[in-house]
Amino acid sequence: MKMMTYAEGIREGMSIRMREDPNVILFGEDVGKFGGCFGVSMGMIDEFGPERVRDTPISEGAIIGCAVGSAATGLRPIAELMFCDFLTVGMDQLVNQAAKMRYMFGGKISLPMVVRLPAGAGTGAAAQHSQSLEAWLTHVPGLKVVYPSCAEDALGLMLTAIDDDNPVMYFENKVLLGMKSEVNSFDPIPLGKGKICREGEDLTVITYGKQVYDALEAAGKLAEEGVSVEVIDLRSLYPLDKALIAESVSKTHRALVVTEEVKRGGYGGEISAMIGEELFDYLDAPVVRIGALDTPVPFAPVLEQYYMPSAQDIIVGAKKIL
Amino acid sequence: MTSIGIIANPASGKDIRRLVSYATTIDNNEKVNICKRIVLAAQGMGVDEALFMPDTFMIGCAVQDSLENDGVLSLALGLLDFEIEATMDDTVRAARMMERHGVGCLVVLGGDGTSRAAVKGITDTPLLSVSTGTNNVYPAMMEGTVAGMAAAAAALMDDPRECCIHDKKITVRVNGEVRDIALIDAVVSDDFYAGARAIWDPERIKRIVVSRCHPATIGFSAVAGAYEIVEDTDDYGLAVSLGSEGEGVLAPIAAGVLTPVRVSEARRLALGEEYRFTAETRCMIALDGEREVRVQPGDEVSLTVNRDGPWRVVPRKILARAAELGMYKIK
Amino acid sequence: MAISKEQMKDMYVKMRRIRDFESTAAKLFAEGKIPGFVHLYLGEEAIAPAVCECLRDDDFITSTHRGHGHIIAKGGDLNLMMAELFGRETGYCKGKGGSMHIADRDKGILGANGIVGAGHCIACGAGLSAKIRGTDQVCVCFFGDGSTNQGTFHESLNMASIWKLPVIFVCENNHYGISMSQDRHQAIKDVADRGAAYNIPGIAVDGNDPLAVYEAAAEAVARARAGKGPTLLECKTYRQHGHFEGDPAIYKPKEEQAAWMEKDPMPRYAKFLVENGVMTQEEVDAVDAQVAQEIEDSIAFADAQPFPSVESAVVDVYSDIVEEVRDR
Repeated sequence: MKMMTYAEGIREGMSIRMREDPNVILFGEDVGKFGGCFGVSMGMIDEFGPERVRDTPISEGAIIGCAVGSAATGLRPIAELMFCDFLTVGMDQLVNQAAKMRYMFGGKISLPMVVRLPAGAGTGAAAQHSQSLEAWLTHVPGLKVVYPSCAEDALGLMLTAIDDDNPVMYFENKVLLGMKSEVNSFDPIPLGKGKICREGEDLTVITYGKQVYDALEAAGKLAEEGVSVEVIDLRSLYPLDKALIAESVSKTHRALVVTEEVKRGGYGGEISAMIGEELFDYLDAPVVRIGALDTPVPFAPVLEQYYMPSAQDIIVGAKKIL
Repeated sequence: MTSIGIIANPASGKDIRRLVSYATTIDNNEKVNICKRIVLAAQGMGVDEALFMPDTFMIGCAVQDSLENDGVLSLALGLLDFEIEATMDDTVRAARMMERHGVGCLVVLGGDGTSRAAVKGITDTPLLSVSTGTNNVYPAMMEGTVAGMAAAAAALMDDPRECCIHDKKITVRVNGEVRDIALIDAVVSDDFYAGARAIWDPERIKRIVVSRCHPATIGFSAVAGAYEIVEDTDDYGLAVSLGSEGEGVLAPIAAGVLTPVRVSEARRLALGEEYRFTAETRCMIALDGEREVRVQPGDEVSLTVNRDGPWRVVPRKILARAAELGMYKIK
Repeated sequence: MAISKEQMKDMYVKMRRIRDFESTAAKLFAEGKIPGFVHLYLGEEAIAPAVCECLRDDDFITSTHRGHGHIIAKGGDLNLMMAELFGRETGYCKGKGGSMHIADRDKGILGANGIVGAGHCIACGAGLSAKIRGTDQVCVCFFGDGSTNQGTFHESLNMASIWKLPVIFVCENNHYGISMSQDRHQAIKDVADRGAAYNIPGIAVDGNDPLAVYEAAAEAVARARAGKGPTLLECKTYRQHGHFEGDPAIYKPKEEQAAWMEKDPMPRYAKFLVENGVMTQEEVDAVDAQVAQEIEDSIAFADAQPFPSVESAVVDVYSDIVEEVRDR
């Protein structure tokens, strides 16, 4: 067992594969000496050199495009976008190129590439550096999407993401980066496998990323009131662990989906629709979603805290269907 | 009315020598800027009209729009009226029309090739050649303001020829028929297609005839120049044969490229003397740097240097003369 | 870099193959045999064959929506191409790509591309890959003048320059971005000028003369292979048809079209070859006949192929996820 921060988990996952395979490289804005905007790749340039831990110009289209082109020709690149908000600038290369090439070319080209996407609010970075945009990517056939919540998952999912022959979108929650947790396994974690963080009988909270901790806090408080809450951390958004959700909801008969994104058009809506379509007979109450305020992310800490879904919001949501 | 003509070649300065050497790049928007300075300086000196050649980048129009927009254009800026072919023939045609129109000086922006084309269209109009091409021999690097002033002085003066050099040129004949001319050099290479037009590979060069040469110029004339210097005022040219035998010289055949070349024979050519040879294989004759004339085996080729080229304005000389004539005095 | 007579002939064969393939595609599209869109390379045949003559099988290219010519020049299989245009199961992309998305990884063809300006970045990636893997492979990025107004063009030239990537940016300047003529869509005449902004040699050649293109491309490829970095090579040419088949191209002046038809690379190059004894007229005729037969054969091949089964629609979204994507 080892204690590691979430950032160290990401770094260790990348480093393990880079030690094993010279074709794995990392590039992005300021990932070299600067260590990445959040220090995630700090020190990697010393171990792997500037060729393989490569600073790029501020050119998101070219960064993702370079990942596409190098993945198609023998590398297993990891591209970092400094903030997932910058997806907008490089979206064509992800959506029209990375996601589609295998299919359009009749399976003749593989793109084993990872795009790292620091996401989420809570850092006072305002509307262009704080978003949760996972729904944009889960919407696109051809992409896989993961979103770890702790060091061990960050490490294991990174290994799997690098090993995968498809483009994997790897979300990293910025406020979790410095959080330490136990790492008991250095093994790859299969995509599409969620985990139960807390077992319960009365209600299933389905979530991922930072909201796992909010959900656990809410579950603790609800337990004091005699409500037993089960918390699922999805870890992978696509492929989605439908079996785990089904197993839990068929036991608790109540589902609450918690995400940091705004609800409209969000991935939480997709999950809740899936539950409605496939598990209707097991439900004793409507599926409820909790998300952020339906606004851009505000700057002032008091506004930003109000914007983000909290443990209290989860409790309120849970009480609607208990 | 005093007028000047301006021919700016939008195609100069992008050939393969940027790839195989370290040649200068001047883009078309900079050519527009240079032309603006020429027009403003000429206007300041008292020129009434500037005539432009029409071209695919519409340099003349861009100059007019910009200067009118700034409210600084007072001379009459005109564009010759003809259908553009986007070839060197446009330059020949424009030069001819400008001479007929009576411009007092023809300003040409481009490389050696552009000046060569302009010369084909004129007889005795003073020519001022401004380099925007590929590290040239014939056109000079000069600031547009100076060029505009010199052109104006030539146009305003009674006898500008006092401040010009009557240049030599090379006439190319194949089987007795005049095929083309060159201002500086005619180079025989064993290519048989024009390809990327420019020449740069010394391996393929067999013979060089120059009207003038100096090691301080860039291109194949420098090979002759490294062997013997021939000034523009000397009444002879030089013919050089290259081969694997013979004396080696180091010559700047392209920008930043000093290449050892073996000269097997070199001799002066008196004015009017024919340099003749019979082509053994298919080859190309490059004129002032561009492959132009195709020669078949058995063709009789003759190259002759004569002092029948253009009257080239010497800017420093004419601007000094302009001072003597009081052209800078405020009236 | 001297070109051999064999190479000159090979370029002619490929040019002829492209001309015939495209003319046939135009006819088949008009007859309704080919669904969707086709963007033809007619008029631009001198470029891709000359550039690809400088490449090895293991070199890469990225292509465009006007990609048939690039694919044929890099050695693409006519039967598989035609079958793909027909939407057949055995086409290059199993009927999932069509005209705009043909790729052949084994021949280094990283795909035609329906997004204008997308190939530039991908070419940088392929160049980076060659560099990291320590090979001397190069990647040629084909694109049109229209795409040089996309941000990706500028991002990619910059990136290729600072990293000295073995990428040759080949601009096929056909003077139109869809219906917008070059003098309306950009404030420059020579795309080559844009090289200077990124410290890349920018040169312009007659794109309707395969020998001019070859000379420049050979130098650019040698430079890239030697680790000296990218080149921007602009080939001036003309799109003889509309943007896509069915576009009557009313925006093109008739005089302009006529002037460029005079400079059509096909008769011009054939004439050069015969006049200079590279090929006899009989040899040229034999190539023409052989290529005509190849095209006939490709149509017969394509016609005989089955349509893809609807079952196959879910295959190749991912390498490993199949049945799950059947959900609708």
